[in-house]
Amino acid sequence: MRPEPAPLTRAQRLALTGASFLLVVIATMALGPLISGSGWWWLCAFVAAGTLFAGAGLRAVRTPPSLVPVLELGVLVLLLTLFFGGASSLLLAIPTQGTFETFGELLAGARRTIEQQSVPAIPVPALSFVLALGIGVLAVVTDILVQTVRMPALAAAPALVPILIPGFIIEAGAEVPTLVLTAAAYLLLLRVDVRVRRRAALASGEGGEEAATVIAPKRVPIVSTLGASLGLAAVGLLTASVLAASTPSISTSLLLGSPSPGNLFARGVSPFIDLGRDLRRPEPRPAFHYFARDGDRPYFTLLTLDRFEGEVWGATERVVDGDNTVDALPQPDGLSATVETSEHPIDVTIDEVRTTWLPVPYPTARIEGLQGSWFWDDGSLTVRSVDSNTGGQRYRATLLEIDPTPGQLRSADRDLPADIEPYLALPEEMPAIITDTASTITAAAGSPYDAAVAIQAYLRGVDFDYSTEAPVEDGYDGGGFDVIARFLETKAGYCVHFASTMAVLAREAGIPARISIGYTQGTPTEDRVNGVQRVEVDSHDLHSWPELYFEGVGWVPFEPTPGRGSVPDYSRPGAGQEQAPSVPSGGATTPGASGRPELDPDRNLAGADGGAIATAGQLWMRTGVVALVIAALLLAPAFLRFAQRRTRLRRIRRGERPADAAWDELVSTARDLRAGGADAETPRAFAERTARRDAFEDADLQMALVRLRDAVERDRYGPPHTELDRDSARERAAALAADLSAVRSALLAEAGAADRIRATLVPASLIDRARKALGERRLAGA
Amino acid sequence: MHRPRSVRVSAWPRLTRRGGMLVIVGFVLLVVSLWFDLRDILVLAFVGIAMPLAAAVFVTARAPRLAVTRAFAPAVVPAGAWTRVSVVVKNRGRRTFDGAHWRDMVPSGLTGPPEAILPAVGPYEGVLPSGDDTVRLEYRLRMPRRGVAAIGPLRIAIADPFGLARIDRDIGSAHEVIVTPRVTPLDAALGSAASIDGVVHGLQRRTHPNSDELIAREYRYGDPLRRVNWPATARRGELMVREEEQRGDPEARILLDTTLSGRPHSSALRREHDDGPNFGFELAIELAASIGMHLLDRGFRVRCTQVADPDRGVIPGAAFGGAYRMPGGERMLLEDLARVEEPGRTATPVDAETTVAEARVRAREARAPGFAALVDPGEQDVRNLVALRPSLEPAVAFAVESVSQRAVDLLEQADWRVVRVRRPADIGEAWASIAASRPSAEAARTPGRSAPIVAGEAMTDAP
Repeated sequence: MRPEPAPLTRAQRLALTGASFLLVVIATMALGPLISGSGWWWLCAFVAAGTLFAGAGLRAVRTPPSLVPVLELGVLVLLLTLFFGGASSLLLAIPTQGTFETFGELLAGARRTIEQQSVPAIPVPALSFVLALGIGVLAVVTDILVQTVRMPALAAAPALVPILIPGFIIEAGAEVPTLVLTAAAYLLLLRVDVRVRRRAALASGEGGEEAATVIAPKRVPIVSTLGASLGLAAVGLLTASVLAASTPSISTSLLLGSPSPGNLFARGVSPFIDLGRDLRRPEPRPAFHYFARDGDRPYFTLLTLDRFEGEVWGATERVVDGDNTVDALPQPDGLSATVETSEHPIDVTIDEVRTTWLPVPYPTARIEGLQGSWFWDDGSLTVRSVDSNTGGQRYRATLLEIDPTPGQLRSADRDLPADIEPYLALPEEMPAIITDTASTITAAAGSPYDAAVAIQAYLRGVDFDYSTEAPVEDGYDGGGFDVIARFLETKAGYCVHFASTMAVLAREAGIPARISIGYTQGTPTEDRVNGVQRVEVDSHDLHSWPELYFEGVGWVPFEPTPGRGSVPDYSRPGAGQEQAPSVPSGGATTPGASGRPELDPDRNLAGADGGAIATAGQLWMRTGVVALVIAALLLAPAFLRFAQRRTRLRRIRRGERPADAAWDELVSTARDLRAGGADAETPRAFAERTARRDAFEDADLQMALVRLRDAVERDRYGPPHTELDRDSARERAAALAADLSAVRSALLAEAGAADRIRATLVPASLIDRARKALGERRLAGA
Repeated sequence: MHRPRSVRVSAWPRLTRRGGMLVIVGFVLLVVSLWFDLRDILVLAFVGIAMPLAAAVFVTARAPRLAVTRAFAPAVVPAGAWTRVSVVVKNRGRRTFDGAHWRDMVPSGLTGPPEAILPAVGPYEGVLPSGDDTVRLEYRLRMPRRGVAAIGPLRIAIADPFGLARIDRDIGSAHEVIVTPRVTPLDAALGSAASIDGVVHGLQRRTHPNSDELIAREYRYGDPLRRVNWPATARRGELMVREEEQRGDPEARILLDTTLSGRPHSSALRREHDDGPNFGFELAIELAASIGMHLLDRGFRVRCTQVADPDRGVIPGAAFGGAYRMPGGERMLLEDLARVEEPGRTATPVDAETTVAEARVRAREARAPGFAALVDPGEQDVRNLVALRPSLEPAVAFAVESVSQRAVDLLEQADWRVVRVRRPADIGEAWASIAASRPSAEAARTPGRSAPIVAGEAMTDAP
């Protein structure tokens, strides 16, 4: 049986609390790579400090130990109210019903922000709230483990929670210095505990009558033990670091698949394939509608792909910058004052599209009226949210209309700024057909602009067909090299192929290119509000198109896909002479398509979901894991009880107070079966009461019970028995075990099946013990 | 007699529960981190594995330099009493010694103090000692059984600063505390009057037991003739007797059955069944101690010898062939009795023939009171006693329950008075019974057998 630890003084409790606080706070630092800034950490530290030291204070005034965790949770709620309650709280800190509603909203927002933000995340209020709440709860758990249960070694469990999280989200995981610091804080906690425990035991003079009097030295220098602790900790941590650094990585993720990014935070998008799949789906759904001046029929960009890695186009991973708020978007790259610009408002109302990327025209000057935290990305000026999505949004985007003349484009400077260079990057080896085609088309072009116009004209030529089916049938869906090569041969595909081919050809011709994904201008309706036409955009209008860069003008869109969208004036061959207005070319119809897909850009663009089969498999896997965890939790008491029984049987076998162990097991069994076995009952009384049960009519059973009782009485109240030699000890153990099993099985047999199951799954004896450990512990000096 | 408890002293460090759990958690984390390819957790996994191992190396490598002295107050304890053990642990190393528990190893059957915390001890102070390098530990120890108990060594369990590993080290050596047999005070005086002839009578407490007092007094009726002081008689013209004998010390003999040779297979049987003390043997020793103390108190010189070899002391190193006298004799007797080992473990064969011959020789000298404490005498033992009978008067054998009836019969035939003693509480009563029944027994016996010997002795004693 575990001896009751000696009561602690206030200073000792405070030392333990301080060490726990350090551990929690340093472990929280492990989340650093996931969240930008450091304000959230100070917040968490404050909450942890408030919770833990409130607990220390409560213990100092001798609050019942079972009440302390509850009150700590109360303190946590007060702190959260102070920070997040806002106007709904009384006196800043007292929560009202409104506060809890606010909390609920924050929680919902946090779920969204966790789903949507990429790392490092912006600590929006919802995220901060969840962090503070989580750390507060971890602090309370730590406090229970350290102070109430007095097993500080277990404090590693709550500390591991924030440490494990980064590993599942980002490749690098938590930073090594943080981990080492956490380990050091943990060791500090252990050291403080060892010291406090020794001090308390010395001070309390444990043991009573037979204990020795210890006359300790008056003053003992502490420095040398400090040195030993530091040295040992340093050696251990150093060894661990070296071992960790030298262990090869074995990536055998059989259970949950490769730890691919993007399980929680959306990242690494490869949306081309999904785009095609969506285009092939039936039934268009309304995505959004907007009101704009008649001349303004822009494309709406969701996402820009700028990296071409041979196999796939991808978006450069960009950190969301908390300063990039959408109330003022910057001047687009490369736009000079010579180009004519004008601003026009566009009122957008989202209908059914649900994505974290906001459909905005490029370029946009500012956006107003959004709910949630939205930020723009450098360069592409795409807008995304970290804690909400497009659902139900209604906003006004101010379009910065650029009207370049072909002359301006043609005379664009060929010297490009350094930050545009990446848009020219192409892999080393490319299929010959691409380079050949590029050189053939652009041979006659006098300027990059002419080359671009030539490429567009080539792709829009009669040779090329729009088909969403052909690439799939021929197996070259996507945007990679091989696909482009095949596309150039078969000359059939859809926007993805046209866009990526044009982008690649443009890059080959020395023009910076990127691909935008979004919506075409949509279908105007008859509705007019205040003289402004309402334009419906549905999932038919999902599109991708290349954007090419011209120094002095910036990124300008091209439309190589035949039969889709509108061809910009400047991109027509011979533009500048004709000056014809751009004519929408019936974007609502798609040749060859057997219908158009339900637009689901959320799933589209979040990417990385894998195929349907893989999803089903993962679902099974996850469900299985969750079920396993739940089953393990439910079976934990049974397992503990089983382990306890094994321990006692082993004690019987080894002769460590065997009679005591046997009797404890018997009483526990009886208590599990709700068949008595109260704390205060003596063995004799228990045996007498048990012997009166129906199951014990058998004389042999009675004898077994009496033998057990006698053994325990002799053990407990008799003189300390002498050591037996091995054989007789074994005999005695065997006899005890036999008696015990006979009596136990009689008790079990008497009980009903329901009782037996309850006794196995919810052992009352364990619960009583836990209650005792949590509730009836005496306070320091109490 | 007492073996130290067979606790295996592990020279190897062990992980504490905390350390063991940490290692397990470390391995679990290692598997998890490799499985899911979480490189970051690897560090923590290795911390979990490496820290306890480093701690184990630490406790092994940092052997403390401690000096332990142990003192008992009192050092000789009657069975059932308490002694205070004080242990002084002095740090001889130049580092502070911290993080240890201590436990004094005691033989099985004793309950030593529970394992307790050894406070931190400062570094050794060569000059200007202020006592900060020593810890004093005191505890009370109850000594339930006669014998020599080896207390110690001090077992120090050293743990690392984080409580992850520990190692047990035995410091110093064991010290003996002597637990003397329990002494029952015997009140009925034996032979206090001069009614017993020979060496026994006329006892007085004197400051110098051997001083040769020659003050004569008038003859009184009943004085034995051999005490007549003839020169004084010649001078005074009337019979004068010596006040005191020249040979000062009256001698009494105690014979202790130490071999238990009556049960030839006893040793084999006993080992199998119980390891406790032989009750009868302890009772016999208690008897011998009680009688010896009583006699020494009365001024007797007590020879305490084995039944199997009446010339040999009860323990091999006994002083003066097992003879004890005041002052100091009582302590020596008790200590020697404390050291008597229960037979069965070190059975020593006895050469019977010589002892019988010697006994005959001694028989001529004087007749002393003789008391035998018998546990389980063999035939040879009984023969020895019978042979000794002529030199003893009175001859009383206290027999515990295990003495066979045959041995009792033989002794009674040889005119030993046999008194059965069943438990320690009976000792006083048994003694009182022989003292009370003495006159009648004496009266019944004297005419028959002792008279000629008395005469003979008187003649030899005459000048």
